[in-house]
Amino acid sequence: MITHELIERIEGEAVLDFKTDKSGCVIEADIRFLHFRGMEAILEGRNALDALVITPRVCGICGHSHLIATVRMLEDLYKNMGIPLNITQKAESIREITLACELIQNHIKWLYLIMLHESNNLLAQESELSLKALFVASQVNQLCALFSGQWPHSSYALPGGVSCDPTHIEVMQGLKILAEVEKFVADEVLGCSLEHFSALTTREDLLSLSGDFGEVLRNFEALNLLDEGKSHGRFLVLGDEKIAIDQGKHCDADISLVSEDDSQTFAHGGKTYAKNALYNGEFYECGPLARALGSGYTNIAALYQSYGDTSLTRITARVNEILILCSQVRSQLSSLDLSQPSFIAPPPIESISGEGIGIVEAPRGALIHRARIEKGRIIRYSIITPTQWNLGNGTTSNLGVAQCSMIGAESIAKASLLFRTFDVCSVCTTH
Amino acid sequence: MPSNPAKLKVIWLQGITCNGNTHSFLNDPLLRSLLEKIDFLHHPLLPCAKTLKELVKKLPKSDILIFEGAYRADFERAGVRMEELLNALASKSKHIISLGSCASFGGMFKEADSEHISGILFDKEEQNGPLKEMRDKVITLSGCPIHPQWLSFVIEMIYAEKKIMVDEYRRPKELYGYLVHNGCLRNEYFEWKVDSDSFGTKEGCLYYAQGCQGPYTHGSCNKILWNEVSSKTRAGMPCVGCTEPSFPKFGLFTTKTYMSIPAEMPLGIPKRSYLALSGAAKSFHIKRLEGKLIDDNA
Repeated sequence: MITHELIERIEGEAVLDFKTDKSGCVIEADIRFLHFRGMEAILEGRNALDALVITPRVCGICGHSHLIATVRMLEDLYKNMGIPLNITQKAESIREITLACELIQNHIKWLYLIMLHESNNLLAQESELSLKALFVASQVNQLCALFSGQWPHSSYALPGGVSCDPTHIEVMQGLKILAEVEKFVADEVLGCSLEHFSALTTREDLLSLSGDFGEVLRNFEALNLLDEGKSHGRFLVLGDEKIAIDQGKHCDADISLVSEDDSQTFAHGGKTYAKNALYNGEFYECGPLARALGSGYTNIAALYQSYGDTSLTRITARVNEILILCSQVRSQLSSLDLSQPSFIAPPPIESISGEGIGIVEAPRGALIHRARIEKGRIIRYSIITPTQWNLGNGTTSNLGVAQCSMIGAESIAKASLLFRTFDVCSVCTTH
Repeated sequence: MPSNPAKLKVIWLQGITCNGNTHSFLNDPLLRSLLEKIDFLHHPLLPCAKTLKELVKKLPKSDILIFEGAYRADFERAGVRMEELLNALASKSKHIISLGSCASFGGMFKEADSEHISGILFDKEEQNGPLKEMRDKVITLSGCPIHPQWLSFVIEMIYAEKKIMVDEYRRPKELYGYLVHNGCLRNEYFEWKVDSDSFGTKEGCLYYAQGCQGPYTHGSCNKILWNEVSSKTRAGMPCVGCTEPSFPKFGLFTTKTYMSIPAEMPLGIPKRSYLALSGAAKSFHIKRLEGKLIDDNA
C-alpha cells in the first residue's frame, strides 16, 4: 500500500511517500519537499556584502548559521586573493558565542515542541505547549542579541570581525542568562546535574532520568522506537575539524569529495525540489551525533558503541550538545578580552574577485556556502544545507540517511517520528 | 466588556516564508499572557486545534487571520493553491494581520520572481495584492522579521476592541510613527555629523559610511528593544530598512551619495535644511565626540 503523509511542524512541510506491507510495516519511504524559493538566484548580481543580509533569511531558526557561513565564505575569498584577514580572538569568540546560542535554542525547541509533543501524541497522551521551554529559548536568544543586536535575522558579523563593541555590562548579563539556562537544563531537561548526566552511558541510566528528556526516551521506549532508527553508520563533520567516519573508522574529510545530486528533482523528472548532498558519492549523517562522535565525547561514543546509531543515541547526542555548548559559551564569555578590536577593516569588497567557501556546523550539521565574486559582485552562489545530507532521497539500493532509518518501522506514524529525530527543516532543505 | 471575554480564534497561515516571524513571535516574554487571550485554530509550529491537512479540508471562520510570507497565486499548502486558501480564509476572518515584510510588500522572496510574487495587500508600494477588496480589515506589520511585541500589541488591541490608527500602508501609527533612528544611541553623532569610520566601535554615526537607513525607516526598533535588550544599531549594525516596501534594496551597506551628499535626505527633511545644519555641524570640532566614549587612559 502506498500512503502520502504530510509531515508538518518542521519549518514548512515535507511529504513522505510510504510503501507498506500487509501488516503496515514500512518497506519504502521516499522524502519529498515541495517548496522552493530560489535564494541563490536572489543573491546573484548583488554586492557581495548584501549576502550578509540575504542568507540569514534562508531560515527562521538557523539564519545565524547562514550569516556565519557567508562571513567565512567572504573571508576565504580575501584569503584566496592573497589578502588574509586578521580576525581578532575577541571577534572570533563573539561569533562562536552567538552561533552556539542559535544551536542551543534550536535543540531546546526541537526537544520540547517536536520530540516531546509528537511522542506524546503518538501515545495518545495529553501534551500541552511547553511555555517554560519557549521562555528559556527566548532567554538564549536574548543572550545572543546582547552581541548580535537581535535574533532572528541579524547581520552583525562582517568580513573583518563583528559590528558590536560590547562592554562588561553585556558580558555579565550574558553570564547571568547562561546560569539560568544551565539551571533549566539541569532541573527541567535532565532532572540531574550536568556532571551526573555526562557520565551516563547506558540505556537504563538515561531512561531513569526524571526530567523531560527522560520522558521523551520513555515515550520512545513505550513505542518500541528507542532501538530503532539505525542508518548507515557513516558520519560527517565539516567544521573546524573535518572528519568522515565510516563504521567507526575515522579519517580526515576532504571537502573536494562533497557533491550535490539533483537527479531526483523536478528539473530531472523527479518529485522533489531537494537536491541530495553526498560525500564521496555516498549518504553521510551530519549533526549533533556526527559532531559528538567526531569530537570523541566519551558518553556518546560509549552509547554508540553499545546501541549504534539508534534513536536513543541520536536524541541523546543532541541533548548532550546543549551541555557542551553552554560550557563553551561560559568559557568564551569569561575569557573575552574586550580591549581587542572588534573589527579590522578589509580592503573594499569592490576590489575583490575570486571564489570562496564558508562552512559552519549549524544546528542540523554541515552547512556550506560557496560563491564566485567579480569585483565585489556575486556571480554565482551555492548553498548546501545540513538537511540535504540527512534527508536525502535515494534509491532502494542506495537509501538516504533518514530514509534508511525508517525502513522496517512498524507503522507510518512511527516512521514519521523517526524521521523527526533528525530535526527536519523544510525551508533549509530546498532554500 | 464582560470580565472573561471569549478567546480570539486565530489562524496562522504561511505563504512563501523562512519562518522568521514564527520564531521571532516565540521570543515574546509575555507569550503566556497572550495565549490566555487567543486560541490557535492552526499554527505552523505550536500545538493547535487543526493540522494544516485538517484546516484545508473545511476552511473555518476566525477572528484573526495572520498571514506570514509572500503571496503567489499558485503556491500550495497541503495541496491547495494560495489564491483559494488565502481568499477563503481571509473572507471568513474579522481581522487580517499581514505579518512581516514578505506578506506586507513581497519582501525578500519577491526578489526571486518579481512578476508573480507580492504581498497580500501591497505589491511593493502599490496596493495591488489579492486582498485589496478587504483592505479595511488588514493591519500591516512589516519588518524582517516582525518584532514579537509589535504583533502581540496588535492582537491585544483587537482583543480589547480598540481602534488601531494606521498609516498609508495600514501599519499601526503607534508602532511605525517612529523612525528606527529615534532612540538610536548614536543620535548625537548624527546631529554633529561625526561619521563612524569603521564597524566595530561604539562611536560615530552609521548613516553616511555604513549605509544605515534608520533616518528613512519607520519602526520602533530603538524604542521597543529587540529580545528586550538591543537593536541592530545598538550592536553597531546599520539599519537595512526592513520595514519599508523597498526592502531589500541593492547595496545594503552603502548610502548613495551625490557629490558627497546623501542622495536621499532623512525622511521629510528639506535638502536645504539638511545641508545648512550639517554644514554648520561639520565646521565645529567637538573633542568629546571625536574621542572614545569609554577611554581607560583619560
